[in-house]
Amino acid sequence: MNAIYGVYAEPASAQRAVEGLRAAGLPETSLLVLSAEPWGEYEFGAYRRHSRMPWLAACGGFLGGVVGFALVAGTQQSWPLRTGGMPIVTLWSAGIITYEMTMLGAILATVLTLFVSSRLWPARQPRLTDPALADGFIVVGASEPPDHLRAEIERRLREAGSEGIKTVPGSAC
Amino acid sequence: MSRRWGMVVDLDRCTGCEACVVACRAENNVPTVGETEAARGRAIHWIRIERYWEGEFPNARIRFVPVLCQHCEAAPCEPVCPTYASYHTADGLNAQVYNRCIGTRYCANACPYTVRFFNFFHPVWEKPLHLQLNPEVSVREVGVMEKCTFCVQRIKAAELQAKAEARELRDGDVQPACAQACPADALLFGDLNDPDSRVAQLARSPRGSKLLEEVGTQPKITYLARLSWSGDGEDR
Amino acid sequence: MEKTASRINDDLLRPVLETSPRFYLAVVLVGLVAALGFVAWGYQIWNGIGVAGISRPVFWGFYITNFVFWIGISHAGTLISAILRLANAGWRRPVTRCAEAITVFALMIGAMFPLIHLGRPWLAFWLFPYPNERGLWPNFRSPLLWDFFAINTYLLGSFLFLLLPMLPDFALVRDRARGWRQRVYGWLALGWEGTPRQWHRLETAMHIMAVLIIPVAVSVHSIVSFDFAMSPVPMWHSTIFAPYFVAGAIFSGLAALILAMALLRKLLHLEEYLRTEHFSNLGKLLLVMSLLWFYFIFAERLTVWYGNDPAEMAVFRATQSGPYAPLFWVMVFCNFLLPVPLLTIPRLRTIASTVVAALGVVVGMWLERFLIIVPALAHKFLPYSWGTYAPTWVEITITVATFAGMVLLYMLFAKLVPVISVWEWKVGRHPLAEQRAEISPAVAKTVAPEGSA
Repeated sequence: MNAIYGVYAEPASAQRAVEGLRAAGLPETSLLVLSAEPWGEYEFGAYRRHSRMPWLAACGGFLGGVVGFALVAGTQQSWPLRTGGMPIVTLWSAGIITYEMTMLGAILATVLTLFVSSRLWPARQPRLTDPALADGFIVVGASEPPDHLRAEIERRLREAGSEGIKTVPGSAC
Repeated sequence: MSRRWGMVVDLDRCTGCEACVVACRAENNVPTVGETEAARGRAIHWIRIERYWEGEFPNARIRFVPVLCQHCEAAPCEPVCPTYASYHTADGLNAQVYNRCIGTRYCANACPYTVRFFNFFHPVWEKPLHLQLNPEVSVREVGVMEKCTFCVQRIKAAELQAKAEARELRDGDVQPACAQACPADALLFGDLNDPDSRVAQLARSPRGSKLLEEVGTQPKITYLARLSWSGDGEDR
Repeated sequence: MEKTASRINDDLLRPVLETSPRFYLAVVLVGLVAALGFVAWGYQIWNGIGVAGISRPVFWGFYITNFVFWIGISHAGTLISAILRLANAGWRRPVTRCAEAITVFALMIGAMFPLIHLGRPWLAFWLFPYPNERGLWPNFRSPLLWDFFAINTYLLGSFLFLLLPMLPDFALVRDRARGWRQRVYGWLALGWEGTPRQWHRLETAMHIMAVLIIPVAVSVHSIVSFDFAMSPVPMWHSTIFAPYFVAGAIFSGLAALILAMALLRKLLHLEEYLRTEHFSNLGKLLLVMSLLWFYFIFAERLTVWYGNDPAEMAVFRATQSGPYAPLFWVMVFCNFLLPVPLLTIPRLRTIASTVVAALGVVVGMWLERFLIIVPALAHKFLPYSWGTYAPTWVEITITVATFAGMVLLYMLFAKLVPVISVWEWKVGRHPLAEQRAEISPAVAKTVAPEGSA
């Protein structure tokens, strides 16, 4: 990835850097913020778009429940072993398995949504890491910055209080 | 009309001789587990004579109750089995499908009569005892539950015989080993759905009651109460 | 003094990055004990289940006791952690991961017992619902099938609940480590970057999972109780069993959590992270559960005693004053008489005494499971078939081995994963940690200038 960024020790300066980049005319999609801990209480660390995750979880749960009930009802009726005149499919016992499968469906849908929407999968390499991240620093910068804005971005990042400006690929300057 | 096999146990007639127990073992290839195992409570008897002492010496009396699988209509052992090994046949037998059994022993816990038995080890018949095994009855392997079948092999054989002779099964055609061996005729077997069968008639007797009826299992064995003892130690 | 991020990293990642020879020695020793369990199990499979002490009528003994006990222990983790997450209790931060790990491992161990206790364990797969050549599906009306579904849902859910918040910490190890660790943890981190979007999604997912996992946990031990309550066995066939089992499960789980935390604190030198307040708070929860446990057992026993049903009274007397009485009263001591004073009197509520109380509860709750199962089976309706039970060396070995197995799994876990969630701990230091800018954007505006001053 092609990026230019600064590292900030204080969330307040990271906030200033983000605001500076916006003032420089950087599109929101190019804005790059990384941290080793969530900073949801600051504007720069908050993600405003509402997630559809609860709805997807509900759908997953519904699907799981349907599969659960279909499994119980379908298999028992496909080979009806009527024992002692007792009902083959009972709501009481099918209800328990339907319930467990509903929950399983909702849990799997939640996790799957997280993995897909956050682009997480095994052996995937992060686009950008910086040793400073682990020490609590916040990375603010621009990914794929337009060439004409490069100087302006660098100035704004420095102004906000970054110790040094780094570019990827390439050496730190 | 479908059959509903049942039994009547006349407690007045039972002498506690245990001929039924021996006959059942011989008929059904019930394994002998040996002294040590039996002492640990692992002996297998599909039918047993329960003895209860009543009263204080010298007015003590003994009461014999033959207990075997009650072939319940609402058998608690059936729904709890995860593999359908405990199964209800169309003619009302509470069957155990040995090949399906994986040995959770859940059925044995659910059974209020404790008439289900478990093969804790692989059963052995030391030579020459293996020669007396009944070829009509499968032997059970380690880890499998087993229990009274109402001598299902005899029921099947009698049904075949009747079919071969192109006639209906008659009352008394089928006799399980225990009933056959009983010298006092305390055990009587037959079709409860046939109102004229002896077993159905006796099951309607006012002396009749069911074992642990309050548990709600609807057993198919009727016990006829003992009249010959008033309870004060004197025979009537 | 507040700790810097790198200092926290050093403290919490040290066990992952450095290993002393003593650790390997301990792993070998504990592993040997756990391996003995497999030897005993192999012996049992080879010779037949008869090498265990079960008999007629006590068809279930130590194995099912251990099953209920370990599934109970599993209720410490995910359930407690989910409740504390939803309640946004700040002190949860260093506790959640050790708790969730207990759940996963205890479930793995507990779920082994239904297989160990089978008469023909080589056919255990007949319990699983899959299309098969026998043309026969399992009986979904059997509580054992309910167990199968409940435990699988709970195990999978708890595993994911444990895994999700570990991703940022795996990424941290990836960024700090060199060599094979960098590769392995890089793979495990799934490419975690730490963008606001990822953090938000992770927290949303954890929130949803917490809401889902609580009713699952409640259902799991209810269903374990149904294994008993569905049978017409005196003192099993009871409507109180489900809540009684759930309360007991949380009770024993909390105790296990306290023990695990005390060990971690001592062995990994986490005194500054797992502090007196954590033990004190968990101790108070343990106290509440102890009182609840007593309430349940009182309600159960009183109803039986007053009802005076002959079959139930036989079991009642056997436990209260008969052959099982010594175990029963030890249980009452361990579960109630010991923990209540230790945890009620503030002066006594130290870390050491909380650990003593927790140790008592673990022992007491194991006895409780035993006393629910065995005396009832030994005294069913027909006195002619009453029996007794004594465990054999096979059952005792397997039981001890599962405790060793738990310790072993936990040791390996604490070695491979930062056992205190590093990022959650760091968030705990934020002055406004419990708030979100998206909820009140004004906060962000007011905080920003203050920080720059």
